[in-house]
Formats: sequence, C-alpha cells, structure tokens
Amino acid sequence: MPMVLLNCDKDIPERQKHIYLKAPNESTREFLPIANAATIPGTLSERGCAFCGAKLVIGGVLKDTIQMIHGPIGCAYDTWHTKRYPTDNGHFNMKYVWSTDMKESHVVFGGEKRLEKSINEAFDEMPEIKRMIVYTTCPTALIGDDIKAVSKKVMSERPEVDIFTVECPGFAGVSQSKGHHVLNIGWINEKVDTLEKEITSEYTMNFIGDFNIQGDTQLLQTYWDKLGIQVVSHFTGNGTYDDLRCMQQAKLNVVNCARSSGYIANELKKRYGIPRLDIDSWGFSYMEEGVRKICAFFGIEERGEQLIAEERAKWKPKLDWYKERLKGKKMAIWTGGPRLWHWTKSVENDLGIEVVAMSSKFGHEEDFEKVIARGREGTYYIDDGNELEFFEIIDLVKPDVIFTGPRVGELVKKMHIPYINGHGYHNGPYMGFEGFVNLARDTYNAIYNPLRHLAAVDIREGAVDSNLLFREAV
Amino acid sequence: MTSVLSSKVDELYHYVQERFLWQFYSRTWDRTENIDGIVAEGTCILLGEATKRDTPTERLLAVEAKVMVDDFHARFPWLKDATAEEVRVLMSGLREKLTDVAITSSKNHELNHTLY
Amino acid sequence: MPCEISDKSVAEVKIVSKKRAGIINPMYDCQPAGAQYAGIGVKDSIPLVHGGQGCTMFVRLLFAQHFKENFDIASTSLHEESAVFGGTRRVEEGVMVLARRYPDLRIIPIITTCSTEVIGDDIEGSINVCERALKKEFPDRQIYLAPVHTPSFKGSQVSGYDECVKSMIKTVAKKGAPTGKLNVFPGWVNPGDITQLKYYLSEMGVDATLFMDTEDFDSPMMPDKSIQTHGRTTIEDLQDSANAKATLALARYEGAAAAAYLEEAHNVPNHQINTPYGIKNTDDMLRKISEITGKPIPDSLVRERGIALDAMADLAHMFFANKKVAIFGHADLVLGLAQFCLEVELEPVLLLIGDDQGSKYKKDPRIEELKNSVHFDMEIVHNADLWDLERRIKKGEIKLDLIMGHSKGRYIAIDANIPMVRVGFPTFDRAGLYRKPTIGYKGAMELAEMTANAMFAHMEYTKDREWILNTW
Repeated sequence: MPMVLLNCDKDIPERQKHIYLKAPNESTREFLPIANAATIPGTLSERGCAFCGAKLVIGGVLKDTIQMIHGPIGCAYDTWHTKRYPTDNGHFNMKYVWSTDMKESHVVFGGEKRLEKSINEAFDEMPEIKRMIVYTTCPTALIGDDIKAVSKKVMSERPEVDIFTVECPGFAGVSQSKGHHVLNIGWINEKVDTLEKEITSEYTMNFIGDFNIQGDTQLLQTYWDKLGIQVVSHFTGNGTYDDLRCMQQAKLNVVNCARSSGYIANELKKRYGIPRLDIDSWGFSYMEEGVRKICAFFGIEERGEQLIAEERAKWKPKLDWYKERLKGKKMAIWTGGPRLWHWTKSVENDLGIEVVAMSSKFGHEEDFEKVIARGREGTYYIDDGNELEFFEIIDLVKPDVIFTGPRVGELVKKMHIPYINGHGYHNGPYMGFEGFVNLARDTYNAIYNPLRHLAAVDIREGAVDSNLLFREAV
Repeated sequence: MTSVLSSKVDELYHYVQERFLWQFYSRTWDRTENIDGIVAEGTCILLGEATKRDTPTERLLAVEAKVMVDDFHARFPWLKDATAEEVRVLMSGLREKLTDVAITSSKNHELNHTLY
Repeated sequence: MPCEISDKSVAEVKIVSKKRAGIINPMYDCQPAGAQYAGIGVKDSIPLVHGGQGCTMFVRLLFAQHFKENFDIASTSLHEESAVFGGTRRVEEGVMVLARRYPDLRIIPIITTCSTEVIGDDIEGSINVCERALKKEFPDRQIYLAPVHTPSFKGSQVSGYDECVKSMIKTVAKKGAPTGKLNVFPGWVNPGDITQLKYYLSEMGVDATLFMDTEDFDSPMMPDKSIQTHGRTTIEDLQDSANAKATLALARYEGAAAAAYLEEAHNVPNHQINTPYGIKNTDDMLRKISEITGKPIPDSLVRERGIALDAMADLAHMFFANKKVAIFGHADLVLGLAQFCLEVELEPVLLLIGDDQGSKYKKDPRIEELKNSVHFDMEIVHNADLWDLERRIKKGEIKLDLIMGHSKGRYIAIDANIPMVRVGFPTFDRAGLYRKPTIGYKGAMELAEMTANAMFAHMEYTKDREWILNTW
C-alpha cells in the first residue's frame, strides 16, 4: 500500500506525501513520508516554532542558567509552565523566565539597549546566578538586533558571568526542529572546550538528548553511579551550563534523542574523535541493550550484567503483570518524532501492545526510516498530522489509548479515548526499567478507567448492560 | 548466492533493520562508517578472527558488532552451522542490503546535506 | 496573632511602576493570545493567527491547561521566505484551506503578531483578495474575515482580547430592525461566570446577548462522542449587536472598546460599570440592568444576596480581618477583587497590574474609590511582573497572609509558604475553577469560602492555631 490520501485532505492533496500505510514486503526505499517540510497554512497543525525548540526543549532545561528572551512578552510567557523537567536544586529552571518585554519603540529604534539593561538587571536581581542564554525572537531578528555584541559587552563588564546566544527566531525552519539544530551547533562552536572539570573515573561519557522529563535523567543517573561511569555532562536534563562546556572531556557520547541532539554528538565525533552511541532508553529490552553496549565499550561487562540482573529481578514481574493485561491493546502515538521509533517496538516487545498509528510533529525523514523499519504493518505513519486527519485516523484504527499532548488528550477524551501525556508523562519517569513499569501502569490505569465506558452509556436507552472493565488489584 | 543463502540474508537484514539504530544515523558518511564497520567486525567475530580496536570509534563499532552477532546466534540457530565462506557471503549480502536501503536507495533527502 | 495598630493617621495609596526594564515572570501573555481567546468565543469561528507556529500552538496549550479542553485555532505557519518576501499569500492560502476543510465555518478572525506587523503584511488587502476568492468558490456561503491587528510589542493579552472583540463586532454588526435586547460584554471571565450572569438576566426577564458566551468552554463527554467545545455567541448575535436597546460593559479593558464602538457607529447606548466582583459592584450591576430595561430586581436575587452575605459574615471579622493580601492579574480582576476584599475585611496591601497601559489604568475610577475607602497603606504597581511580588516577599518588604492570582504565580506562594487563592487566568493547578463563578453574589461567596478554605488548610499544614477550627 503506498501513500494515503485521507478524505479530509481531498482539498490539500499534497498531504498524501506525508501519510504512509505500511504493507507487507515494502521498505522505506519505496515509500517514505516527506518530513521536515513547510506546513500548509490553516491546517491546524500541531507544530511549534524554532524558538521553542531551542529555549523550551533544550536550553531552558538547565538548572543554573537565566533564560533571557529578547522579544515581546509572549515568547517568554508561552515557554514557561509548559514542561515537566525537575532538577535537583529546587527546579530553578521551571520557576522563572526572563523577557526584555520588547515594545514598539524598540522595534523602531532597536532593542539592544533594552537587552543590555535587562541582562544586567537579571544578574543583579539574582546575584547567585552567573550563567545566561540569550535568545532572539521573530521581531528582534527582523529588526537585526545584535544580541552577540550586547552579550560580549556585558561579559567584558562582568567577568564572572558567561552568556551564550541563540539566534533562532520562531519563523526559522519549519518547526521546533530548527531550534534544536541552531542551539546544538551554536553550543559546539562557542562553548564546548572552554572549560575543564575534574575527572573522577576512567569511564566517562556525555549523556545527550535526555531532558529529565519527570526525573528520567535522575533515574538513569542511578545506573551510571552503580556502574562507576562519570557523566561529564547531561545534554541537558538536570544539567549545568559549565558541565556542557566540558563535553570534550568525555570518552563516549551516548545519545538518546537523536533528533534534538544528534547534531552535537556528530560534531563531537568529528572534532574530538569521541564516538557516538545511539540508544533507546525506554523499554526493558532496549535499556538492557544500551547498558550492555556502554559497559562493553568501557570493558566493564560484568558490572553491566549485574545491574541488569538486579533491575530485572526487581521490575520484570511487575512489567509482566501489566503485559498480561495490556496484550493486544491498540495504541496511537502522536508526539514530536523520536518517541515514535523509541516506543513502537518497546511497547510491543515488553507489553504486547500494538501501535496502530503514529504522527510526528517535527521528525525528519530519518525518523520515519527508523519508525517504519520498526513499526507494524497496517499501521499509519504520519508527518505533521493535523486535527481532521486525527479524527479520520482514529476512525480507521480505533486506538484504546493515545500517547500525545494534553490538549489533544482533551480532544480525544470526548471520543471516549484515554490519553497518556506522551511529552511530559502522566506519572513518570518512563525511562529505564522502573520507568517502563510506570509507563505500563499509567497505560493500564488509562485503558481500564471505568469512566470512558460509562461515557458511552446513553441513559435514555433503558437499562444497559454496561459491562464495565473494572480494575484488578495490582 | 543460492536462494537459501539469499533468504538467510533477508532474515538477518530484517532483524538488523528493525533492531539497530546505527544504520540510520543522520548522514551518508556516518551510516557508511557504521554499516561497513559493524558488518566487517561482525564477520570477524563470526569467523573467530582478531579484530582491530585501536581507536575509540573502532572499539564502539566492535561493541555494536558483538551485540548484533549475539542476537544473531540467539535468533538464527542455523548460523552456527554456516561455513566460513557462507558467513562471508551472508555478511556481505547483509552489508549490501543495508547499504542499499539506508543509503543508496534511501528517499531521505538529508543524507548528503553538507550541513545539517 | 499580634495586634498591630498603625500610627498613621491617613492611609496612603501609592501608585508606582515596575522599576526594571525587563520582565522576570510575566503576569500576562501577549496581544495575539488574548485575541485568540476572544476569537474562539464565537460559534463556527476558527481564528487564523498570522505568525510563527508557536504563537498558536502555545496559546492553544494554555487554553487547554486552563479549561482542560481543546480549541481550534489555525496558524499561517510563517516561515523564512515570508519573513523576507511578505506573508500575505500564506494568509490567503490559510483562509481558503480553512474554508474548504471546515464547511460550517462562518468567521475567521485574522490575528496578526509581532513578526507580521514588523514585516508589514497588508491584512486588509489580503481580506479583499480572500473575499473575492471565497465568493467565487463558495457562492452560497458567507464567511466573515475580521482583521485583528495585535502586534505583540504593544499592550498584552488584555488589549488583544479587547481588539479582537471589537474587530469581530465591527466586521459583522449590521444595522437592522431593533431587537430590544441588551448587549452584555462580560470581559475575560470563566464559563462559571457566564452561567451566573445568564442566571441573573434570566431571573430578571431580560433578553440579552453575551459577547462572548463562553459557557460551553466547559463541555461534556457525551454518549455520541460529539465535541461541543466552542463559543456560543453566533454570527447573528454579532450582526444584531448593532440593533440592541443598550450595551452593558462589565469590564473596562476587556470588550469595552467594542461597546464604545457600537455606541459610536450604531447609536447603541453604552453603560460602563465596575466588574461585578463583590456585593456592592453586583448591586450596582443589577440596578443598572433594572434601570436600562425597566425590569425589577426579583426576590430570588435578594435572597441570593442574603445567602452570600450570611456566608461571608461567618468569615469576615473572625478570619479575614487584618489579613494582608497581594493580588495580581488583569486590571479589571485585580481592582474588582480589591473592592471585594474590603467588603470582607481583608486588606489588599499590594495590587499588581501588568503591561504598558499604565496611563489608562492610573485613571481607573476604581482606584479613586479605593483611595477613599482604605484604612491601610496600599501599593499599586503597574507594568508589574511577578518578580515585583516575589522580591518584596524575599526582601521582607512586605508580610502577606494571602496571595490572590493565577497559577503562573504558584511558586511564589509555595516557596514563601503563603496560602494562595487561584483566581483569574490561567488557573491550571487547581481542578474545575473555570466552572466556579467569581462574579455576582454567588461568586463573592465562593471567593470568600475558597479563601477561607485555603487559609484553613494552611493553618493545618503549618500547625498554626489549627485547633481554632475544632469548634467552628
């Protein structure tokens, strides 16, 4: 079966190039959705902007860094209180956002003075913080404010501070993906190899592309601690600005999210010869494989096997309990991109769940190569899916649960389909062994929620054998 | 290649395609490096030959190869009975197929982008 | 509790401005966000935001956080080439795509952003182009296109809301036969407030139209899986706004521009009153409705008023008196809540009002009223951010017993261990608040009880005279 033109897309037939239904004996040589292409205006796409890809996804995770957004207030307001990435220092990163609150006069006369003043104020108000990232936004990019020059000036006047600049207005690229790229490349060009930290282990790595969603990073860190591996830097979950300046010191780059952070891993390889190892951190089978590979690289295979044995003993029975009850359930995944390929096979292998439809907001064709290679036949693979397409796909595949964002979750709730927050999780972390049991538990709790069955009952139609699926004791 | 060997190449290929991320890194240069390096290392391991592990990158390729070969042994019992010649044919077939799907015939527009 | 008696003979109300240039933790989103909120208030409306995709995606998320609902809002998905060569073609494409894929669509507010205002896209010109194209392709449909100019570098979500309401009215309102109805502009309120207002109007037998009727922003899960989350104000309502007997504007900054426009352009007499927070403001509103329509205030509302007073009297001098409060949020809300506080003996010592419209806010008659009634020092900060509140607390410049405001300020309360009442927009960290009225008698009662319960829970968690409640 080739690419699919949905009924709702008859007036925008180019959407056919973005939706694929996998059939037997086909490969991505024949069919691959076009991805990372411009969105059709007015389609109610799910995409965000390049600025948020830089600020909200990567830079804003850092636990010790002021995020100065040079632009009108909305860009700051909107990228605040929208993520669940805690830190071990009281969630400084989630509590604050900074804006130059650009006004019309700055559009006319330039906003550099305003920026300089705002930077100095921010450091004055929070004297314990010495690191900052400055971002441009659409209007400050359009008027050509030189944020680099301003930052340099402040750094020369305040030698104790360090500032990184990200020039990535919202209109750059076609989605948040562009912002990931700009931040990655900017960081390696300007900040990596500007500091050295103390190395305490002969086994060192950077853990790249994990943003500590509900504590993912902190959970995995317990593994690295047990294995005696020093994580030089976390890019960027629970991470610090200065650790990321020392990325060149690591012996191995372990990449979870290749979409948002593969760039910096590749550059570290080209420039410093540090090899890149992509792993999947969700799911037992993948996590085991990741631990094995990392340990094999350092020649500490036995430690790895011991960790795996301990974790399996602790968590596998719980996972299996859920697997017994989730087997054959149908899941849709509508998230950013990489979680499609991270999850499709892991929920199938570990939980017996069939993933029947997947949509990516900002994935590239590479992401579709991965997910189509791993995903099922009869499953829909959608690039930049929009609302009417979602309705049609739901009708076609009838999922029992959808992993997606909270807004779409509210939409599908009306159709009696439970959602799990595929971005910020319901009750995570979801990475690692314990995490995947959390994912299984949340999925079970969602699918076996009696309310959605009650919602289907029309009380006007006499007595109904509601046949509710009540839960069992765990 | 006989049709029996060819279908065995397919079995290996399908497993690798579904399982491993290294064939799908971001550009032609790193996909080539991975596919060539890991399949070559894997061939050596299957043949019991010494492998080259001087640089960190070579060490990592060997790690990936070892995991792949372990998985092969667990899934494809016929592999232990393959002769050295058959192993070479199988692995070279695997390399060709992976290269074709992930690089040569790939519809991924970004593979040869000089930047990202 | 220590007894503090001020030695000042005259209480002072000080109006100041935020001293810093930048903002740390904003209280408001930008203009296009407010415009989108107004735009979804109309039935069969999908706003089209002309800007980067984030300007839409995050605002939809914000509404979902607050209402736990999805709202349809489209983007022109501005990309680089539009930033260089102009983006009007994307507006035109967006309008046509929406019209083709949504057969029930009747109005598209076209909302500009900072980027497209800087580029200088001619929205009115695009609308002309689109209208011709729509007429050709859909001769039997009328789809209104309302230009909403909301550059993010002016005003805030508050003025954006005001602008979009006005633009939709201006685009659709049409002189016809008088309807005898009352136009009501409630401002940026919750579904619970709309329900409350409708109850009052219905009890008084007044035929009124609400701009915007957002009652269905709290929408059900139905057996037939239908999605009923949308504004209830119709195109016909917008058309007939020009033919109403009078207009009642309940907020000075949210919808007031449209009310003024209707008076100016269509001779609909406009009555601007205080937002009905608290007993007295509600009294004034009901009397005004009675005055305009000639309908008497019914017994049922006298009784509701009595119930509210009865409940509030249990709380005021026993629990609320001498308690210092900071309030932040929209100006109409903050000033209204300050008036409410005085009625229940709470002392709103710090009011924070955001954005650059300080010159307007400073002239607000409610500030004059407050000046005349407070017996304690009050500071009103305009162009404020939430750091203005946090730093005053951290530096010990202010001692607070209560914070009233929206969820974006939650960590101030959490970290300083001060009880907080969630009120305003957004209130995503408490369940169901959008359903509770905060205006009217019932709203005043709910606010008072919510405040009391927040304080009671705090007494228990901090073991601060929690035993008082042993016998209450």
